[in-house]
Amino acid sequence: MTGYAELQVTSNFSFLRGASHPEELVARAAELGLAAIAITDRNSLAGVVRAHIAAKGAGVRLLVGARLDFTDGPSVLCLPTDRAAYGRLSQLLTRGKRRAPKGECWLGPDDLDEFGDGQIAIALAPETPRLPDERFARALTRLAERFAGSCFLAAQHLSWGNDTRRIAVLAELAEALGVPLVASNDVHAHDPGRRALQDVLTCIREHCTLDEAGFRLFANAERHLKPADEMARLFGAYPDAVARTVEIAGRIDFSLDELSYDYPAELAADGRTPQDELVRLTRAGVEVRYPAGLPAKVEAQIEHELALVGQLGYAPYFLTVYDIVRFARSRGILCQGRGSAANSAVCYCLGITAVDPGRIDLLFERFVSAARGEPPDIDVDFEHERREEVIQYVYEKYGRERAGLAATVIRYRSKSAVRAVGKVFGLSTDVLGVLARTVWGQSGEGVQVEHLAERGLDAGDRRLALVLELSRELIGFPRHLSQHVGGFVITDGPLSALSPIANAAMEGRTTLEWDKDDLDALGILKIDLLGLGMLSCIRRCFALIEAHEGRTLTLASVPAEDAEVYDMLCDADSIGVFQIESRAQMSMLPRLKPRSFYDLVIEVAIVRPGPIQGDMVHPYLRRRAGEEAVEFPSAELEEVLGKTLGVPLFQEQAMRVAMVAAGFSAEGADGLRRAMATFRHTGRIGGFRDKFVGGMTARGYDPEFAVRCFKQIEGFGEYGFPESHAASFALLVYVSAWLKRHAPAAFACALLNSQPMGFYAPAQILRDATVHGVCLRPVDINHSEWDCTLEPAGEEPDTKARGGEDAKQGWGTGGPVLRLGLRQICGFREEDANRLVAAREADGAFATPASLRARSGLGAASLDRLARADGFGSMRLAQRAGLWAVCGLGPTPAPLFAQGPEGAAETPPETPTRLPVMGLGEAVMEDYASLRLSLKDHPLALLRSRLAAERAAPCNRLASLADGARVSVAGLVICRQRPDSASGVIFVTLEDETGVANIVVWQRVFERFRAVVLGAPLLRVTGRLQIEGRVTHLVADRLEDLSERLRALRSAGPGLALGQAEARYFPARSFR
Amino acid sequence: MKRIISLWLPRFATDRLSLRLGVSPSEWRARAFATIETGPTGPRLAAINRAARAQGLIRGLTLADAKARLPALELCEAEPMGDAKAVARLADWCGRYSPWTAVDGPDGVWLDVTGCAHLFGGEAALLEDLAARIEALGFAAQPALADTPGAAWALARFGEERIVAPGDAARVLAALPVAALRLDAETCAKLAGLGLRSVGDLEALERGALARRFGVGLLKRLGQALGREPEPISPRRPAAPYHARLAFAEPIGGPSAIREGSRRLVEEICARLAADGRGARRLTLALYRVDGTVARTALGTSRPSREPEHLMTLLDERLEGLDAGFGADALSLLAAAEPLADGQLMLDLPARLGEEEEPRVDVTETVEAGEMARLVDRLGNRLGPDNVLRLSLRESHVPERAAAFRPAFGSESDGAAAVAAVETVMERPAAERPLRLLARPEPIEAVAEMPDAPPVLFRRRRTLHRIVRAEGPERIAPEWWRSARARCASPRDYYRLEDSEGRRYWVYRDRATRPGMAPAWYLHGVFA
Repeated sequence: MTGYAELQVTSNFSFLRGASHPEELVARAAELGLAAIAITDRNSLAGVVRAHIAAKGAGVRLLVGARLDFTDGPSVLCLPTDRAAYGRLSQLLTRGKRRAPKGECWLGPDDLDEFGDGQIAIALAPETPRLPDERFARALTRLAERFAGSCFLAAQHLSWGNDTRRIAVLAELAEALGVPLVASNDVHAHDPGRRALQDVLTCIREHCTLDEAGFRLFANAERHLKPADEMARLFGAYPDAVARTVEIAGRIDFSLDELSYDYPAELAADGRTPQDELVRLTRAGVEVRYPAGLPAKVEAQIEHELALVGQLGYAPYFLTVYDIVRFARSRGILCQGRGSAANSAVCYCLGITAVDPGRIDLLFERFVSAARGEPPDIDVDFEHERREEVIQYVYEKYGRERAGLAATVIRYRSKSAVRAVGKVFGLSTDVLGVLARTVWGQSGEGVQVEHLAERGLDAGDRRLALVLELSRELIGFPRHLSQHVGGFVITDGPLSALSPIANAAMEGRTTLEWDKDDLDALGILKIDLLGLGMLSCIRRCFALIEAHEGRTLTLASVPAEDAEVYDMLCDADSIGVFQIESRAQMSMLPRLKPRSFYDLVIEVAIVRPGPIQGDMVHPYLRRRAGEEAVEFPSAELEEVLGKTLGVPLFQEQAMRVAMVAAGFSAEGADGLRRAMATFRHTGRIGGFRDKFVGGMTARGYDPEFAVRCFKQIEGFGEYGFPESHAASFALLVYVSAWLKRHAPAAFACALLNSQPMGFYAPAQILRDATVHGVCLRPVDINHSEWDCTLEPAGEEPDTKARGGEDAKQGWGTGGPVLRLGLRQICGFREEDANRLVAAREADGAFATPASLRARSGLGAASLDRLARADGFGSMRLAQRAGLWAVCGLGPTPAPLFAQGPEGAAETPPETPTRLPVMGLGEAVMEDYASLRLSLKDHPLALLRSRLAAERAAPCNRLASLADGARVSVAGLVICRQRPDSASGVIFVTLEDETGVANIVVWQRVFERFRAVVLGAPLLRVTGRLQIEGRVTHLVADRLEDLSERLRALRSAGPGLALGQAEARYFPARSFR
Repeated sequence: MKRIISLWLPRFATDRLSLRLGVSPSEWRARAFATIETGPTGPRLAAINRAARAQGLIRGLTLADAKARLPALELCEAEPMGDAKAVARLADWCGRYSPWTAVDGPDGVWLDVTGCAHLFGGEAALLEDLAARIEALGFAAQPALADTPGAAWALARFGEERIVAPGDAARVLAALPVAALRLDAETCAKLAGLGLRSVGDLEALERGALARRFGVGLLKRLGQALGREPEPISPRRPAAPYHARLAFAEPIGGPSAIREGSRRLVEEICARLAADGRGARRLTLALYRVDGTVARTALGTSRPSREPEHLMTLLDERLEGLDAGFGADALSLLAAAEPLADGQLMLDLPARLGEEEEPRVDVTETVEAGEMARLVDRLGNRLGPDNVLRLSLRESHVPERAAAFRPAFGSESDGAAAVAAVETVMERPAAERPLRLLARPEPIEAVAEMPDAPPVLFRRRRTLHRIVRAEGPERIAPEWWRSARARCASPRDYYRLEDSEGRRYWVYRDRATRPGMAPAWYLHGVFA
């Protein structure tokens, strides 16, 4: 039997062209016993790593290559014969991609000439049944000259009708030009069964429906992998063309395994080795971190780490990260290492992480391990607003040729798949919307037929059934490449010789073609530079404290283990605090009662999908409260679970359980983790579950415990927290909580200036600040800047220190006063604010609206916004008067007439106008309209007397009532949530002038009051109280829309769109 | 002083929807309906019926939000064009009260009833009658009557009172919200921000100050409502100075009753024409049916005439085609007149108005491109646009579907696009095909080597064909999405064959494999 190697294969990494995953193609090639299979995606190497891994597993030979589509001239399959040629191919693609916008690649035949050494070039005749013409012959001649001896001409037998004739002409041409003919099948799928999906992909690509697609579709399904004897039959007259495929494969001596990764080497100065440099820097760091002397435990740890790093040669990597962090520090950009790097004392000394190794137990082997042979993984968080500076620094320092971001493969998920396929079938937008909505969240299962009927669609409809079937097939297909959030690959040599580099959609970014799994598989190291909003907030807060108190703080120097901070957290007083401000976290705090840093580590890790799905939360709480004995399923697990009272909470504990109790090898456990991480888009768990549960049961563990452990691992999925990562986050929790406790004004101010972030809107952040005694001042054109600012407390009492009976603890009393910034005004632009502030700083306060306009040059719309926000207080103009004055300024004067600082072209004075007086209710509503908050009063306070008469309790009274009491509360809806883990339950948070109330709406009740729950900005909820310790919920059985009353407050004319306006003023964070 | 009615149809779009869908009133109250319009950001609610509004749905809500809040919501596409046409029809229908009517936006009608009210028993009775009849047609109606269109408009939508006595507009309007002045939403919001809520609030302010802040548009609207500024509105049909109407207590339907009524109107008009020394050039008779529609017929005269007998003869011819439906409760006659001296004779030659000259087609004429279009137009006018078809190429690999009949006209919306699509069919990416395709593939018997060699001979209608030349296969897979059958159909292998007598055929083999059966062969075309 003759052998055959398929050399022309388009995988689905030629986006919307190939109809099979590289893995499927490779597996099928192995099944057919092909001599080799090439992956030749269009101007791309994006799919080769997956194919490579699959090929190693399946035992089939993979040839790495690409199909080069030129802007001009026939396409060529390019197969590099060795490592150097591969580098040249990668560089060739890099050139084409760098000169084109994202997603495109512009190449000409000249480019191939330049990078052609060592390549095998297989020319492709134009893809039409027409016979190749003179132009093609010329191009082929040219190619044959450049690639003498390694140039071929491909011929396909695709049942176009005239195949015999066409191949004969090609063979003649090949003969004439001395370019040997080679058989191929232009493979687009591993199996002919993909034809329907292939057509769908074509339509998606061409933005048309199946009925419109016409000749853009393939006429038949012949472009699939075929066995050698079938190819030999099709090319019966040209046996050499078939045999030649094997010959070509034999000439190729390259595998992706040869790619080796070299760390940048230039970081060690003065001729020191990287290891020496690392030791030197670590020692220097020790001086800074431990001025009082190095604890023996830490010292031993450092020695241990340095030895291991030296042994494995990872020093350059540490130096690379150190360099980036050092740069950020020098710019005053706050940063912190996260993830397993927090297990390293060296990282602490280098300033990469901020968790004192004395505060947690270190598991350095979790970070760097001789056994795993995997490079360490250091992720660093930077202030989200300034991360770009760091990224650009990396590009600048190493150059585009040596640094690039990893890619992220964007794949079809249930929703996007059903939408795309539905469109191809010509479904109406209405039906498409309904279909897409039947999918909750990011599931990988597609739309189930049973769900259709619920949504009023005909489940028996043939087209709909096809849509569902094909969209399920489409799920997991790559759609395009995007940039990884911050995973950098930095190399010593040119990066473009490793993987093609392309422009990202974002200005100034370049990305590789491989994602993090590909890089992992090839052992290529990346550094994650991530953005974190809370770091921006903390940096701002530090700056405010320094400016107002003269006290300098850093992440590491915030006083540790402050009892008052823990008191506050035990009270669930955590609005604005990093990570633990969500409702679930808040209700956990009083149960967990954190008293130490390690408790915060647990708090961060426990309210996660893993422990919740594994039902580990309650056992842990019971044991912690001493209600249940701390016992261990076995002695071997005591070691693993000792720290967490016998309950696995962290990701690595679950992995250790797999190894210790279920008999997984280290690689097996890692495979399990990877399978779980990709579970959501591949939907494959394989036999892991049986192996895990069976393994544990066989070793004598309780099957129920085993199932829970496995569920937990499932729940970790992509979102698991290892202990070290939780520790890094816990530090930010602690620091932000400390700031909230000891500098509430600065903390609120920094939070507002870092918006949008976190769970709460400015209104709630400010409310919380006033509860703690912080005084607020309104937006004012003569005092406010763009950002909110702190001002010294004045003699006269300030507005809105809401203290009194509502104040929990007035620890902000007497501190600085928070002045709202112009950023709080909806629709006001930062550049306008800067012009206003600049004019004010240049020539002093503005006396009249006219002078404001003349000096700042603000447009009418901006002035209008300032007036609506009641920002003319210092001119003694109330909101309405300010608006009247601003309206009356008339059109903007031409520059010629705008003379003098106060604007000589002043409009003639008007007789003063008496406008109708504004009531408090109206004023509050106007504030909400333009600021989303009001310092004058809370709308509910104005509605209180009637609500009280109707026996609606204020929110802050709920906790003092009896468990099980029936009660009503009313409030603004500030948040609606439908957590994935809670089956169909809706959580609604209401706010009134006294505080917030947490409402639980069960599915059944929700269905009854659906429109009210989802639509009303002001709700009255009646139900039964559920009080558990310090956690109070109101389980709703009746919900009423009271928005009418807000409207009455505003007493607007009936001409305005009713309802809509209110909903706009009181936007709640809502799930979709 | 003019007297204007503004008729507001507050729920016109949804009322029309309920009529369109034929939902009974009780069901309409129970089920939530809305129409959707597709804007730049996707589909949004346009009109919402009361049941849906009671659930908190509002105009402008995204479809996704609306469905999330109210999964039972029933949806229809909005039909702004259809709505506009329907309002126009209603405005015509209002001609029963006054010849001068006009459409006012998507949900309103103006009627100038100056000097008409007495015909209906006074203004109050007129309004009542108007409202009752519109409601009976299935539309909510709020009419109001005032001296100016602006004041009537304001009153219809915002007022408590329905009729403003002449000269009393300022007093009544003062209490109404500013939105009653037909201001845009932005101006209303701006005024609301300043606490200026009612028309009275605005009247209290200095005009100059207002103009500076809100432009002259606001003052103009204020002036129009209060009658300080004129507001010309052009009526739907030019008002004819000669107008007569006749209302019946009971609906009439029989031709004789209509004829009798028409005669009385013609006589009345002729008397007035004679008094003015004029003659009619064109008469329009309108029949107001009880179902709210209007039947009209018109006739023209080549010379002015005021001879009742002559005019009646002409009208008689037209009456035959006039359908009274379930009955008509009013008739009106309009006349357009020209001066006519006494004693002038009339010519007895009725012209046929409303019909073009009979088209004649010379079939021997060479049909050129422009001629083709004209031919299509003529045929289309005669046979209906959908009945004139032309054959065009279609992009499909499947031979049967490679050509299609398309309307030669192109519909109103996509006429140009359809023609363009026909002209630019892509080159077909496959080998040659026969010019003649059999209407239906014909089974043949053939001998060929498996799996895909061409036949060496085939038998058709007892004739044996020996193949001397062959090419193929061209494998064509069925369009799987088209039907359940196509989904499971198997591909076909087509071959071009030439037999020993030089005839060329296009045959195919169905690739379906039936165990124990020879493959099925068909003849599908012959080459010229």
